[in-house]
Amino acid sequence: MLDGRLSLTTPEGIRLSLTPAGPAVRAWAWAIDTALWVGSLMVMGFIANFFGKVGQWMMLTWAFVSYWGYPIICEVYFKGRTIGKRAAGIEVLRADGLPVGWRESTLRNLLLVADFLPALYITGLISMLYDNQFRRVGDVVARTLVVYSDKAQTRTALPKAEPLPLPFPLTPDQQRTLVDLFERERSLPPGRLAELGTIAEGLTGACDTESLERMRSYVAGLVQ
Amino acid sequence: MKQKQFEAEHADLWREIDAIVNGVSLETEQLPSYYRRLCQCLALASQRGYSPTLTDYLRRLVFECHRRLYGTSVARPMVLRAWLNRDLPRRVREEWRLLLLVAVAFWGVGILCGVLVWWKPQLAYSFMGSGDLARMHDMYQPGSIHVGRGGSQGDLAMFGFYIWNNVSICFRTFAGGLFAGIPALLSVVYNGINMGVVAGWLSLDPTTRGTFWPFVVTHSSFELTGLMLSGLSGMRLGLALIKPGRLSRRHALYEVAQRMFPVIVGAALFTFIAAFFEAFWSANTSVPDNVKYIVAAICWTAVLSYFLFAGRKGGDAA
Repeated sequence: MLDGRLSLTTPEGIRLSLTPAGPAVRAWAWAIDTALWVGSLMVMGFIANFFGKVGQWMMLTWAFVSYWGYPIICEVYFKGRTIGKRAAGIEVLRADGLPVGWRESTLRNLLLVADFLPALYITGLISMLYDNQFRRVGDVVARTLVVYSDKAQTRTALPKAEPLPLPFPLTPDQQRTLVDLFERERSLPPGRLAELGTIAEGLTGACDTESLERMRSYVAGLVQ
Repeated sequence: MKQKQFEAEHADLWREIDAIVNGVSLETEQLPSYYRRLCQCLALASQRGYSPTLTDYLRRLVFECHRRLYGTSVARPMVLRAWLNRDLPRRVREEWRLLLLVAVAFWGVGILCGVLVWWKPQLAYSFMGSGDLARMHDMYQPGSIHVGRGGSQGDLAMFGFYIWNNVSICFRTFAGGLFAGIPALLSVVYNGINMGVVAGWLSLDPTTRGTFWPFVVTHSSFELTGLMLSGLSGMRLGLALIKPGRLSRRHALYEVAQRMFPVIVGAALFTFIAAFFEAFWSANTSVPDNVKYIVAAICWTAVLSYFLFAGRKGGDAA
């Protein structure tokens, strides 16, 4: 399929699709993380004020751990997501779709410095724009990917209606399209639904809501 | 089979797997067999054209299981110890040509600058500002090293500073190496010049000579090695980009990064040890200078013999 998604085939013959995340959403995640980092430094600086020289040590150690360690620890222990990435809905995976380990995460985060050069992540941006999976240099070196996390959807109940047989056989894909329409019914405006009913006249032989109701019955016939 | 029937038939399985994936259920040894059945469910659901929300739900469940089953790496006990015992010194010896270049860039330039400054002191001003040189000179006045820091708590503060500053330089040197190795080399040369000029400048004055050398001689064994290691690994990465050999550039970068990873970890570790020595040992004025020189000799010998002899025996690298 030509949809920019990356498809991985597992040993069981199942195809998993991943959607690589682009520069904009990653910049947003980075902005959140950086804001948090600066905020944490300020809080730490405030606390450290009360401890004199020991406070200085606390401050510098915190700066080191939060600057170099925070993204690595988050990615290894929290399913490839820093707080910023979680908020932006993206995560880091190995190129084979498995969770990142210490080595991958460390390499990609150390090379963030190289991606920054010469200024403002220009190298990273160019690399992302040239790569078909939006990988920055650190991702290429460590063989990782940043992808959109799957949103946990709840399965909606299927429509309740008097089941009707289909007037002529439909392919699985066509059946799926029909079922999908009624699963998304709540998010569509009534006018648009009626319009779709009219478009489906060839299938139902009716227009507007009447056609829609008939399709509902077909779907009930398909699933029940 | 209709979708409703299908869902009813397999609902128990899906619920079971959901519980395992979310950590509620602990019957993880059942997961492989459950997973195979789940994959079959997904294949059937896609092929029969069941609703997209159902197939998406199954696909997400499959993905979670896939990560759990295949993502668990083989247990690698003592991987850090294996790296230190074997991989780090071996990799460094394998790259001896590059190490030679880094050593010349650092020690050669450093010693040259030192000798130049020693020979014609006014040359120091062409490398560093007069303010910086004066500050260095003040820093190493007898007595100011420890008193100026504020006792053992000051040592702790400096320990934090050395870690933040030096380990960060180490990491930046490595990452900068990606650009054909040039920034890594420049970083090494720059640090070499700095070291040479400061050492030459402070050796000129007998008062600072007596404080400077005992201060730096011990921890430099670890710190300079750490810097050279990070320069080495950074340049290796850059060379993979210039001369990838029979691999594609991406692949060459990946391979080199995997091979050099123990070296980067080693560089960070060495710099960390150096920070410890620099903060708590080098600045300790109650230790006589002779003892410091003896300890320094032991440290330098240990570091050199580690890279010369460690990991000569034993099996292949992991």
